[in-house]
Amino acid sequence: MKLTPTVLELDLPEVEKRIRRFIKEYVEKAGADGIVLGLSGGIDSGTVAALSSLAIGGGRVIGLMLPEKETYNSKDIDDAKCVAEKFGLKTQICDITPVLESFYKTIPIFDQADKLCKGNIKARTRMIYLYYYANKLNRIVCGSSDKSETMMGYFTKWGDVAADLSPIMDLYKTQVRKLAEHLGIPPELASKSSTPALWPNQLAETELGIKYETLDLILYGLERFMTTEEIAQQLSVEKALIEKVKSRWLATEHKRRMPLAAKIEYRTVGADFRLPRHTY
Amino acid sequence: MKEKIKLALAQISSRRENKKENLQKIEEFTIKAKEQAADLVIFPELSLTGYVVHDQIYELAEIIPGPSTKRIEDLAKKTGMHIIFGMPELSEKTEATIFNTAVFVGPNGFIGRYRKMYLPTHSVFEEKRYFRPGYQTASFDTTLGNIGLCICYDIFFPEVFRLTRLKGAELIVCISASPAVRRSYFEILTAARALENTAFLAYVNLVGVEDGLQFWGGSRLVSPTGDILAKAKYDEEDFVICEVDYSNIRPAETFIPTLRDLRPELFDKLKKHAELF
Repeated sequence: MKLTPTVLELDLPEVEKRIRRFIKEYVEKAGADGIVLGLSGGIDSGTVAALSSLAIGGGRVIGLMLPEKETYNSKDIDDAKCVAEKFGLKTQICDITPVLESFYKTIPIFDQADKLCKGNIKARTRMIYLYYYANKLNRIVCGSSDKSETMMGYFTKWGDVAADLSPIMDLYKTQVRKLAEHLGIPPELASKSSTPALWPNQLAETELGIKYETLDLILYGLERFMTTEEIAQQLSVEKALIEKVKSRWLATEHKRRMPLAAKIEYRTVGADFRLPRHTY
Repeated sequence: MKEKIKLALAQISSRRENKKENLQKIEEFTIKAKEQAADLVIFPELSLTGYVVHDQIYELAEIIPGPSTKRIEDLAKKTGMHIIFGMPELSEKTEATIFNTAVFVGPNGFIGRYRKMYLPTHSVFEEKRYFRPGYQTASFDTTLGNIGLCICYDIFFPEVFRLTRLKGAELIVCISASPAVRRSYFEILTAARALENTAFLAYVNLVGVEDGLQFWGGSRLVSPTGDILAKAKYDEEDFVICEVDYSNIRPAETFIPTLRDLRPELFDKLKKHAELF
């Protein structure tokens, strides 16, 4: 197998069709009145907003914009509104700053300098807003995690990844960008740099230390059981970089699973208790 | 035996764990098939229960004969139809040994069963966790001709189809629950299995989404020369009536004489190498 960008090419109309069907069927079987999703102004949430609206109609999709003062960026709000307008979904803005400040004030061990722990509060607070809307309005939460972030564990546990369904979780970031353009999302938004918006000027590629174009090919190779040597050779990059990606992927499996249960009894949740996942 | 028979490819979605609703659907489609003068109606793999049922299979499996097969037998008698459908079959000699089975009934009752020989246990599939494999191919001499049965992943193993054909089947029915990511493989293999055996092949696949797994439909009747004679829609329920004209087998067998050219000594070598590689 030759690791070139062509391996990441998709039959985009077919992918669109399958994801739309996946969303529609889930909402119908769940008996939900619609979808609520976090609309950050980024490419992942914009793509999921578009797919959700195409699947069930924009009138049944609410995009929640959840800004806070430290990472507030009017361009993100404009981009989110642009997607909402194009695909006809409703939006609401909730400034989560007062809630965050309450956390900062009331956690006895709160450390202002620890930006990661502080940032995770933001992601988890957004999750609480999304689930409030879902509960209150009989909707389901549609997640925006992509495969690159998910494999890298580049998300907040029980935070931004929390959702009832994740329509683009099996697509790498570069594939999401192509799907976004296919759906009619403006190219400048499709190629916008990704940020989890946990602190000011945070950029995913800077933090991960690799461009998504390279990362996605490495992950694609790992997904297909290629060795680190093979991948390094084919991509003409240092083996150490591949090993770093691989160890991060393996080390973060705990973030992608149910909590580990001590095996005591006959059948155990998260281990050998295997039940069909009903959405209705 | 009839020279020509009419098939109804009943490409349905199943309601998981809801045998009552699925039996109702099987009944509706069988009556529809009868109204359209079909002789045989075919439903997908595990259409009685749905495919992705995991541990619930132990609650859903039934012995044969059992309540569900009795109901289908009654339906066949009432309508004068032949019916093939899929279900989890509980071994009558044990408490929790289950087979992934295709059941064949006709106007005179139970005709036979086929227990899936190749159980996929890779990727999203975990059939060996739940099912015991079958050890016999199945072909049945009926008033509709000699009809063989296979299930889904069996199609990747030409020897299953070859043996079914050599035991006399001129129409091989393959019921399936194939997810969309594997569509291209099945489109190739359905044509290949028909062509290499110069037999008709009726492929009936599930549709619907079960636990995120999307079944692609695309059921079809393939001629003994590999041509698609009839094809159901992708991804949605469909019902297709098509005709098997057995008189087409003879010219196919002369034009593509694969059966004449079989080399039995290769099977001995195949056996030896399959055990050693």
